[in-house]
Amino acid sequence: MKRMRRYVRNNAVPLALLAPAVMIILVVVLLPLIFSFYTGFTNYRLIRPESLWDFIGLRNYARVLTDADFWAALWRTVLFLTVALNLEMLLGLCLALMVNRITWGQRTMRTIMMFPMMFSPILVGFQFKYMFNDTIGVVNNALQSLGLSQKAIPFLVDRWLAFGSIAFAEIWMSTSIFAILILAGLFAMPRDPIEAARVDGCTSWQVFRHITLPFLMPFIYIAMTIRSLDVARAYDIVDVMTGGGPAGRTELLWTLIARTAYDDARMGRANAMAYVSILLSIFFTWFFFRKLMAARQHLGAF
Amino acid sequence: MKLFEQSFTATVAILTLVTPLHAQDYGNFENYTLRVKLIGGAQYEPLYTLIPEWEAATGARVDILSRKSHFELDREMKQDIAAGGVEYCVFSSHTNFAPQYAAMNQPLDGLVGQDVIAAFSPLVIDHATVDGKLVSLPRHSDVSNLFYVRSLYEDADNKARFKAQYGYDLMPPETWNQASDQAIFFADPPNRYGTHFAGKDEAITGRFYEMLVANGGKLFNDDWTAAFNGPEGQEALNWFTGLYQEKAVPAGTPNYVWDDLGLGFAAGNVAFDLDWAGWAGFFNSKDSNIRNDIGVVLAPKGSGGKRTGWSGSHSFSITQNCENKEAAASFITFLTSHEAQMIEARTGLLPTRTQVWDDIIAEFKDQDNDFMVEVFEVWGESMRDHAFTPPLIAEWGEVSNALWPQLQAAIVGDKSVEDALNDAAKEVNEIMEDAGYN
Repeated sequence: MKRMRRYVRNNAVPLALLAPAVMIILVVVLLPLIFSFYTGFTNYRLIRPESLWDFIGLRNYARVLTDADFWAALWRTVLFLTVALNLEMLLGLCLALMVNRITWGQRTMRTIMMFPMMFSPILVGFQFKYMFNDTIGVVNNALQSLGLSQKAIPFLVDRWLAFGSIAFAEIWMSTSIFAILILAGLFAMPRDPIEAARVDGCTSWQVFRHITLPFLMPFIYIAMTIRSLDVARAYDIVDVMTGGGPAGRTELLWTLIARTAYDDARMGRANAMAYVSILLSIFFTWFFFRKLMAARQHLGAF
Repeated sequence: MKLFEQSFTATVAILTLVTPLHAQDYGNFENYTLRVKLIGGAQYEPLYTLIPEWEAATGARVDILSRKSHFELDREMKQDIAAGGVEYCVFSSHTNFAPQYAAMNQPLDGLVGQDVIAAFSPLVIDHATVDGKLVSLPRHSDVSNLFYVRSLYEDADNKARFKAQYGYDLMPPETWNQASDQAIFFADPPNRYGTHFAGKDEAITGRFYEMLVANGGKLFNDDWTAAFNGPEGQEALNWFTGLYQEKAVPAGTPNYVWDDLGLGFAAGNVAFDLDWAGWAGFFNSKDSNIRNDIGVVLAPKGSGGKRTGWSGSHSFSITQNCENKEAAASFITFLTSHEAQMIEARTGLLPTRTQVWDDIIAEFKDQDNDFMVEVFEVWGESMRDHAFTPPLIAEWGEVSNALWPQLQAAIVGDKSVEDALNDAAKEVNEIMEDAGYN
């Protein structure tokens, strides 16, 4: 206790300066978290405020954990994350490598590359919903006009085509995040190791595989961490394009949670789902953070 | 004589237009600011251009806090209820969702004059009444009837082939079984489909529900347990699954909602379309491929002899927290007045005041707009004799969300009709039990 008092006395000014920020974080972040965690143990319905005090113990969690639809949505979200992140990374890497080689108009290209990020996800959702429409959509019309298909392809109905369509929209919108971060890595990269490797007779592939890529890996893992949190919360695009359907074929965690929370007004149950699904985000953050540390160690940063 | 009639009509029309809407006494609320949350979107906005007139007439000012789509506004109001933050007086509601807002609904009996209420269609007022209390004043109604491409039905070759194939004359369908035959007959994918239907969200629940009722079934038993998984429900769902499996509807149908249907029919891709009257103007506009080739008939009958008629009305409500309920009542009376409803009716929206039905038909007749006359006559009969709402309970949204994924599962072939309805019934029973109904 004495040590505590002494610590406070010796650091009174910095602690006083930090206090407002700590208070704001407590009020803005911690309190809502505690509140939402509590509601997971209640029968809280938005349209019946008094139900906030209707404590039902672990019933919401028991129902969520035994709900096949919830688990299906969770695994579909993991698959969606895996597909979207890997393809975004590959395409972003290709884009960044190509833009990096441009000697004229590179700034313009970088700006153009960022255009998809500037659209609201809702607009992106509508754009692809109409493009993939089976009767009036441009994709089907183009395929039929070119003689590549004789029938209307149900892009937003077929189990895998619908999954692919929402992944396509997500990837179209966010690949540039990877491209920009990887491009930043390429700009920061020292030229000496590459030139030394070339003098030693390395091929372009060997230079890329053993020098460029290891150097870029920390940037890629940072992008992966940011995007994994984003994609795990994917909602707008999916809601507009398929609404999680048909028959739950494209249901992701947040379309399910948002419907339960707002349309059904069952906030208690939705919060229980959200807390279970947060484990997914924590896992991916931990996973990519470990990878990031390993990559940095590999580069000799520590 | 014709010239005189036209001049007289034009004079009356001009007089109607220039007659100030505040000719009626809407009260004096000098310096009062009325806070409101209103539904937004292209079809709802023209009405709000009248608000300055109410402000001029009453001296009050209207502060629009929110102007969002129905579903966004619904979420926002649920959050307001949960947060105890209902600090506004008027909000856009809907008769089918009004029971959800029980915590904020102010009963209008006593606030809105009996003479005003008496001017509305009795059925619509009945739909806006929850537990014996009028909780909203309807601004316009929705019910669906059948639009069809006339040339397809008048084509001699089509008539002959249909008669040979089905044994009865090709006419706009009187029953849903006939509609099914005709949808299959006209289908020629991917160039044309017989029909299409809204395949997700509350839209497919509503379509299933009205078919269930038309077949003589019901959603709930008297003890609020699910009743829709019986033979009538299976027959209703079989209608949708049958057409999907026969490829008489577009493959993307399970993902369609209203815009997809409206645009698809206007593109000339389907033979007939069960849809809202609000689309009539667009279907007959220069942006439509079927302009001047559209017929309308009442929605067909189910096997129970009843016509489908899932209906509801967009409306205005007053909050219990409102500190000036008289001003709020004046405002919603103004926004649902005869003149205000004429503005909406001219765009094809269905009025809720009895007199407006007669006046809008007379106006379209004067303009020789036979198509809109026919539309309002058909939809008028539908609203008067065949319209019905879902059960007016707060759990309607939840019940719908339990139903539609199962309906979709049957339509796309993931489950049998029987299994899908039984699974939905199980889920709905749990919802009703949790809500304290049984």
